Amino acid sequence: MVEVPPPEDPEAALAAVVALRRLANQLERAAVDHALRQGWTWAHIGQALGISAQAAHKKLAQKIAQEKDET
Amino acid sequence: MRLPRTIQDMRTIKMLLTAAETEAQQSGDNLPGPEHLLLAAFDLPDGTARRAFERAGTDPAGFRAAVDEAHQQAMHDIGVHVASAGLPLPAAAPAGGIYRLTAPGQEVFQAAVQLAKAGRRSPLRGAHVVAAVADQERGTVARALKTLGVDRGALSAAAGEVLTGR
Repeated sequence: MVEVPPPEDPEAALAAVVALRRLANQLERAAVDHALRQGWTWAHIGQALGISAQAAHKKLAQKIAQEKDET
Repeated sequence: MRLPRTIQDMRTIKMLLTAAETEAQQSGDNLPGPEHLLLAAFDLPDGTARRAFERAGTDPAGFRAAVDEAHQQAMHDIGVHVASAGLPLPAAAPAGGIYRLTAPGQEVFQAAVQLAKAGRRSPLRGAHVVAAVADQERGTVARALKTLGVDRGALSAAAGEVLTGR
């Protein structure tokens, strides 16, 4: 269970926010890479992430070195 | 051939920012921040960033792991336990050379450039980046340094000593 840190310790809470964002970014990139390999379209990835296909592509396509794009 | 300082600085800046961008991509961060600039500074050919760390009594090779540990600890503190320190990330696209930084990253970069300008005949070197990040009281670098048991003031002093050849 996630324990919300007491407000009197903003240092711990803010550091956790940064770490969780980083973890979310890592998870997002790994999951999108797998989805693409499994043949997902950017439209479906966008739907799954709750953003548009264009937004998903813009945000993530550059971050994933796709072998399929190079071939 | 001795290159004029401005050209030398431009080369250093390009190396530093490209490497920082690659570091950020590899760790899953959106933009390079102070920790990525510092990791990039360790790889600059002048070697002063590494020497500053060694002078402050710590191995620069341990900094990357200290960043991961600081993030793990931050999540642990709120009860989030992640089994592995970093997911196996897909290979990142090569750095695009847009040279965007986080706001703290910009502060560190600008401070490092200012420190280099203030030093007589001193081109921008890795230890300027070390001195600039050591000034940041909060954030990932400050937490990672704490993990390593490195005092920010001592690190800043070590960077100054390396830069002045003392």
